[in-house]
Amino acid sequence: MGKKFEITNNIRRLRFFADEMTQQQLAEKAGVSRQTIIAIEGGKYSPSLELAFRIAHAFGVQISDVFDYRVAEK
Amino acid sequence: MTYQIAKTVTSILSGAVVLIVYLFHVSSRYQAGLLAMDDLKSWAAVMLIFIGIGIAVAIVIQIIFHILFSIGMAVSQSIKNGNCNDQAIEKNIEMEMVEDEMGKLIELKSMRVSSITAGVGFVASLVLLFLDYPAFIALNVLFVSFFTGGILDGFSQLYYYLRGV
Repeated sequence: MGKKFEITNNIRRLRFFADEMTQQQLAEKAGVSRQTIIAIEGGKYSPSLELAFRIAHAFGVQISDVFDYRVAEK
Repeated sequence: MTYQIAKTVTSILSGAVVLIVYLFHVSSRYQAGLLAMDDLKSWAAVMLIFIGIGIAVAIVIQIIFHILFSIGMAVSQSIKNGNCNDQAIEKNIEMEMVEDEMGKLIELKSMRVSSITAGVGFVASLVLLFLDYPAFIALNVLFVSFFTGGILDGFSQLYYYLRGV
């Protein structure tokens, strides 16, 4: 039986609670392009540890509040 | 549409336009008898000219794209905010053009596609020479594979941007 690893994120929710922060504003704070934020938010790209910390820092929360790592049995 | 996707689409279009013009130009000249099968010097001259044209077209299209992208951004900002602030637009354009880790990863992955295409073209041209096909066909296969590699590079970038890495 194999294991499936999944990284989910709460960026959309965190942006909403950060006074509806735009993807452009978050990109500016994290120092990446809007395209990268779109991809991360949509679960299409797993950021590096450094970028994950920068995103968490942009929201002023812990990295575990932004990203969640799940292991699901197949 | 983000800056990265729009830029990739324009580079695909410029590459495709140059390749189509090359194929059209070469086939019409060949049919008119202006390019002989064994005149490799003329073939090389045409290919060198089209390499130059390809570079020039890519530069011109990128300049036009950046101008249009800036205008588009200014228009969208003036619609959204009611005014057009030059500094804010410049800042937005700078932010859109940021090359980050995802961009670099996509560039590396898509470069692999173009390298494989060019490599396959090289092997195919060698096989054609081995099978006694005229040298100009092998040369054209090599040339077209390099250009096609560039176009496929763009398509794979587009794929990674839209579907994820």
